[in-house]
Amino acid sequence: MAAQPKPLHLEQVNYLEGGGIYGWLTTIDHKRIAVLYGISALLFMALGGTEAMLVRAQLIVPNNHFLSADFYNQMFTMHGLTMIFLVVMPLETGLFGNFLIPLQIGARDVAFPRLNALSYWIFILGALSLNFGWIWGGLPNGGWFGYANLTERAYAPGLNIDYYDVGLLILGISSVMSALNFFVTIVNMRAPGMTFMRMPMFIWALLVTVILLLLAFPALTVGLIFLFADRYFGSHFYEVIAGATPMLWQHLFWIFGHPEVYIMALPAFGMISEVLPVFSRKPLFGYPMMAYSIILIAFLSYGVWGHHMFATGMGPVADSAFAITSMLIAIPTGVKVFSWIATVWGGRLRFTTSMLFALGFILEFTIGGLSGVMHASAPIDLEQTDSYFIIAHFHYVLFGGVLMAILSAFYFYFPKMCGRFMNETLGKWHFWLTTIFFNCTFFPMHFLGEWGMPRRIYTYAPDMGWNFWNMFESISAFCLGASFLLFFANIAWSWFNGERAGADPWNARTLEWSIPSPPPIYNFVTVPTVHSRDAFWVEKYGDVEASGLAEKRVNVEYQTLPTPEEIAAIHMPLPSLFPIIMAGAIFLAGVGMLVGWFRLVFLGLGLLGFCAISMSFEYKEWGEDNPHQVHESFLKLDNRKVGVWSFIGSECVFFASLISTFMVYKSRSIGLPDADILNIPLTSFSTFILLMSSLLMVLALAGFQGGKPKVGTFWLFGTAFFGLIFLGGQVYEFTSFYREGMLYNTNLFSQCFYTLVGFHGFHVFLGVVWLLVMAFAGMKGKIGRSRALSVELCGLYWHFVDIVWVVIFTLIYLMRTIKRA
Amino acid sequence: MKPPRHIRLTRASISAALIAMAVGIAGCASGGPYPLDTLSPKSDLTRAILNLFKEVTILDSIVLVVVVVAMIGAIFVYSSREGDPGEPSAMHSDVTLEMLWTVIPALILVAITVPTVHTIIRTQPNKWPADTLEVKVIAHQWWWEFRYPTLGVVTADEVHIPINRSIHFAMTSKDVIHSFFMPSIGGKRDVVPGQENQITLTADTPGEYYGQCTEFCGASHANMRFRVFVDTPEAFNQWVAHQNEVPMKPTEGPAAAGAKIWADAPCAICHTVKGISGFSKEYTYGFRGPDLTHFGSRTTLAGSMLKNTPANVALWIKNPDAVKPGANMPTLGLDDQELSDLVAYLESLK
Repeated sequence: MAAQPKPLHLEQVNYLEGGGIYGWLTTIDHKRIAVLYGISALLFMALGGTEAMLVRAQLIVPNNHFLSADFYNQMFTMHGLTMIFLVVMPLETGLFGNFLIPLQIGARDVAFPRLNALSYWIFILGALSLNFGWIWGGLPNGGWFGYANLTERAYAPGLNIDYYDVGLLILGISSVMSALNFFVTIVNMRAPGMTFMRMPMFIWALLVTVILLLLAFPALTVGLIFLFADRYFGSHFYEVIAGATPMLWQHLFWIFGHPEVYIMALPAFGMISEVLPVFSRKPLFGYPMMAYSIILIAFLSYGVWGHHMFATGMGPVADSAFAITSMLIAIPTGVKVFSWIATVWGGRLRFTTSMLFALGFILEFTIGGLSGVMHASAPIDLEQTDSYFIIAHFHYVLFGGVLMAILSAFYFYFPKMCGRFMNETLGKWHFWLTTIFFNCTFFPMHFLGEWGMPRRIYTYAPDMGWNFWNMFESISAFCLGASFLLFFANIAWSWFNGERAGADPWNARTLEWSIPSPPPIYNFVTVPTVHSRDAFWVEKYGDVEASGLAEKRVNVEYQTLPTPEEIAAIHMPLPSLFPIIMAGAIFLAGVGMLVGWFRLVFLGLGLLGFCAISMSFEYKEWGEDNPHQVHESFLKLDNRKVGVWSFIGSECVFFASLISTFMVYKSRSIGLPDADILNIPLTSFSTFILLMSSLLMVLALAGFQGGKPKVGTFWLFGTAFFGLIFLGGQVYEFTSFYREGMLYNTNLFSQCFYTLVGFHGFHVFLGVVWLLVMAFAGMKGKIGRSRALSVELCGLYWHFVDIVWVVIFTLIYLMRTIKRA
Repeated sequence: MKPPRHIRLTRASISAALIAMAVGIAGCASGGPYPLDTLSPKSDLTRAILNLFKEVTILDSIVLVVVVVAMIGAIFVYSSREGDPGEPSAMHSDVTLEMLWTVIPALILVAITVPTVHTIIRTQPNKWPADTLEVKVIAHQWWWEFRYPTLGVVTADEVHIPINRSIHFAMTSKDVIHSFFMPSIGGKRDVVPGQENQITLTADTPGEYYGQCTEFCGASHANMRFRVFVDTPEAFNQWVAHQNEVPMKPTEGPAAAGAKIWADAPCAICHTVKGISGFSKEYTYGFRGPDLTHFGSRTTLAGSMLKNTPANVALWIKNPDAVKPGANMPTLGLDDQELSDLVAYLESLK
């Protein structure tokens, strides 16, 4: 079905040229995808900014009737969702991550270029789902945190929360896919010699960010699935009446939500660490400590979710524990702030717009961090949480911190992206206006918070003492919004008319500046070999510590025009139509979920599956000579293998969330059925069968690796057959439970059981499909010894699914007798 | 490209700093009153929180000053500009320095953490004195119900407590999650359905204090306010005695006409007036509206949004949704005469 793609014209000068609209729709070039992310995110920034303006317009005077209560609630909800999921994340990982990761590590593209395009198109459609309400009315109105049980049908009858639920599910898929892609890229596709301790700090930040994404998003996914089940299938995951508790949502949400804060903050740290050294003519101060502190922050971020919940009555022990872990995060963060200052100290400074934003970042972020220490102290949080003090805090972190860093990186990398500078005069106006009005808007919110103004209120009484500062903030906010018009105008003007920039306009330090601006499709004519940190700087001046003021010691020839022979040696992936079609299929499924028309869901998922299978046969030379494996790998492992391993890591969190919910809710379930209904003999048999299938899988792989494809194919069919027996047992089990009156929504036990075991069964089903596809490919003689890896990947997944079953069988079936004390 | 011009940051940044300082001073100095002020504690609990807040603020300010001074040093003093003579520094690591800025913040955090944990444990006791007064707080979309199990008093949106006596708020919600925020008296604690959360405190200064819901709870989240009256023991006992009286049934005038409207209209389905209508002492599960037995003696109505004046009561009854969007109270469709009679009756429920 895909049109046979035309070969790429590698001799064309840069990645922006050629291809037309069709070329952009089918592009799998990481730089083009980055630009698409950038344009979308900027449009959403304008939208999210407008939402903020409406919020401030409503609050300008007390008892204002500019917006209705419900529309105000929609606006603050959408402002949060838009800025987090559609602006900051796409700009950081989507735009800068996509653009810079391959360039900074010396690669030609990301590990899975088609997956990368798929992530983008899914992102766009997820963003549309979230914004459906602009057309049909009823935008999400439960806050970006969407606390249950306010999101249940009983309290939110409209489609508002469904847009939220389905939109975030789709965006989650997109984020996890890019995360997996970037993880494999960074781990496995670095240029020769680029060890971990030679990576640019932005790459460090992104590496840790994507690990956080992989391991945090599944918790939210599980929460959203429960919410969906509650709203459409009448279950009670968050309803008190069935013995459940709405606190479950808060735990799942914040287990995702706190790492999410660092998913936004870490790339910002990385960007600042790139900009400051260049404009200070100094190497980054304390590189090892900077890297370790990123890792430490990420690690700690999993243990602090409770600090969002100090007011919920977790008890003194949990409060103390979360307070202590939250305080600990301040230590590595402090190390970073001081190291940045030390980077500037003694440098030869150039105050470009980019540098100004970077310096602004340090100060604003520090203020946000320090107010964060205040409410890490649980008793203080009891006065401050859910007040304007918190709004002040996280805008200092996310606007003064993260967004300033993004703007800094924007001015810094714009020349690399389109070969032209952004206008510095306009840029400096932008910086000063933004900085001044940012502080005028958000600093007084500290006062309002201390004077008790709660968050998320659409109006307030005139006798509360809040009138002056609210008006002051609103006016400042309008000016702040206006200052961004300068930014947008600057981008639009500079894209066409900006001063031309060469390959290395800032005299910078890292590999991306060694190639022309804008870069050619293939990035590097010859993949560089890296001998030290700041590789390009060392190439230019021979030493990391050189000031760069002297004449270039080594005459660097910028990689520009390759010879035809060199072009012939470059192997680039081809455009593909599949990503956009697959995203469309997911969108269909999403719309089906929204309107509750489940035939559409199955149609979408079917189309998705069909495309996924056809896509893997898109290229004739499939297997070892995979055109997407454009690099020698750093770990001597195939990209796909690293990919499957990281996917399994993400799945672990998914199942861990499901299993722990089951364990917690089992004892809270009211009435029958309870665990006594489980049929241990039957399940023991199917467990045995599933374990045996793992054995057959080993035999199959051994067959292919040993050059006996027929034997391998036979065992593949055997594995699939055993998988089918297991599924048959599960179908029998579910049917008999149903006959005994155990419906999905009978009680907590039934809904947790069906959700957990059902999702595992779905994984087995996918595994069987995969096995059968492989087996048929084997029958047609498509899997030789050289392609045994494809079977190995399938096997990895299959063993993982089996191991999960062992855990489920032990905890749910064998330990069923452990009941409420 | 043209190298960026060497700009003098000094004047701009000094004026920015001055503006920031002016804003800060204006912010701290601009007058009150701030009814929801978190910085004027009137109980042992909030005093403990404020002490902690002061300590953290001082330590935070020291760190901020250090960072700002270091930044000023790095940018304006210990660095050079393009075109300056000589070579810039190439220092990119210093173990002593890095140890210092790891260990010193860690020590500062210990200085915050120890009193934090101490305060957490002190302010969340699991047992309380024998004469503790228990107040049950039941949150509804969008009003507050207060019940005194030992005193037999039930009221709404306005809670009375005596000074110098341990008070134990036991809180739960009838619908979604709310948060019980009374900054001067007790900070805040979420009110979660299916879970009983606690605040234990001893208030020390009589007065009228404001409170408000602080967890987003739907359309009228902003309109879910309440008042806390901290009374002397005598005034409190008097209030309790008054609450336990059954209001007089009016016999003549508009109030009597209003009482008849009350009896005929569907008011009593949701509202109780002791001795006249409603579900006697114990509410049934489906109960939805505030107890109005002593409505006339309250200072506010409708989630403490409006002052309790006849005009406001009429405004509220005429179209509750206009006052409090999404409110469960229906529009009764009374004509003006009926309305003013009903208001007269409600105001007579002293």
